[in-house]
Amino acid sequence: MMAARRGSVAGGSGGSPSRASTAGGSGGSPSRASTAGGSGGSPSRASTVAALQTALAAEQAASYGYGVVGAHLTGTAFSIASADCVLHERARDALTRLITSLGATPRAAAAAYKLPIGVSSAADAARLAVDLEVEVVASYVDLAAVPDPRLRTLAAKNMQNAYVRAARWGAKSRPFPGLAP
Amino acid sequence: MAEPTRRLMLAVAAAGSLGLAGCKGIAALGPLPKPSPDVRTLEHAIAAEELMVATYRAAAGQLAATASAGVKGQRLSAAVSAIQAEHQAHLTRLRARLVLPPRLAHTKFLAGRPSPLPADSQGIIGALVADERAAAARLTSELLHAPPALAQLMASIAASEAAHVIYLRRAGSP
Repeated sequence: MMAARRGSVAGGSGGSPSRASTAGGSGGSPSRASTAGGSGGSPSRASTVAALQTALAAEQAASYGYGVVGAHLTGTAFSIASADCVLHERARDALTRLITSLGATPRAAAAAYKLPIGVSSAADAARLAVDLEVEVVASYVDLAAVPDPRLRTLAAKNMQNAYVRAARWGAKSRPFPGLAP
Repeated sequence: MAEPTRRLMLAVAAAGSLGLAGCKGIAALGPLPKPSPDVRTLEHAIAAEELMVATYRAAAGQLAATASAGVKGQRLSAAVSAIQAEHQAHLTRLRARLVLPPRLAHTKFLAGRPSPLPADSQGIIGALVADERAAAARLTSELLHAPPALAQLMASIAASEAAHVIYLRRAGSP
């Protein structure tokens, strides 16, 4: 009887990296469409490409959204928004290269995005920045589960950076950013 | 650091059962089971959160005893209490991921005692900021060895802890 394992981790060590698979209640957003962005290849490659595409879409949206944020700000706040926008553009470009390196086609950005809130003041702009950053955090959760350790690290660091920016823009603290409450 | 305690708990539990059964000793059962790497990763994360909760509890008590009255003192205490609650939430969710045999289900992971905090409120905030940064970095490193779902949870907690730095500094600003 002592040969039994001392314990185990709910959620298992294998399986899909999708947030819907986080058994044990870590939460997660509704599962995303299974669009690998490439044809053929292993399941892990397909899930990796899908996770990269998800993050790319959020970075594209944030790059667009910060244009709106900056348009309603002046002074130091404008400078911070501009710097944050550049960070998202760099992340977007890096994700694009990663997807290409895996032999897949990066999804093109939309010509325009429907913003989650109307923006007509500096306070609105800060709220939009919070929304954009929180969405970026969530978009990397799938990538934090892929087998490639470099991509896991990238995901974790980008989640931290985005949530720190969200906090700076006034986000209310949450214990599990990117995951369902 | 939690390992000897857990092993000890297991040994004690097993020895107790043997005593009741009139057996010769734990050696009759063979070697103690070793935890899988997944379990060790989770145990480390749990131990680290236990230490963080204990550190915040100490900080809250110290601030209550020493912080100057007034808006800033109240703001600091409120921020520390709110962040302590988030660390407790981290701990609860991490513990829920560890599936233990029933007799070990209430085992407490002893991560050690929190380091002494500075005497003044700014020093306390500085120490907590350093702890949060270290915790986020440690999780970022350790999630590489976690199963996918746990890695996602650890990444989320690391993001939460990285942002705590902002909330602490804001609360500690003049």
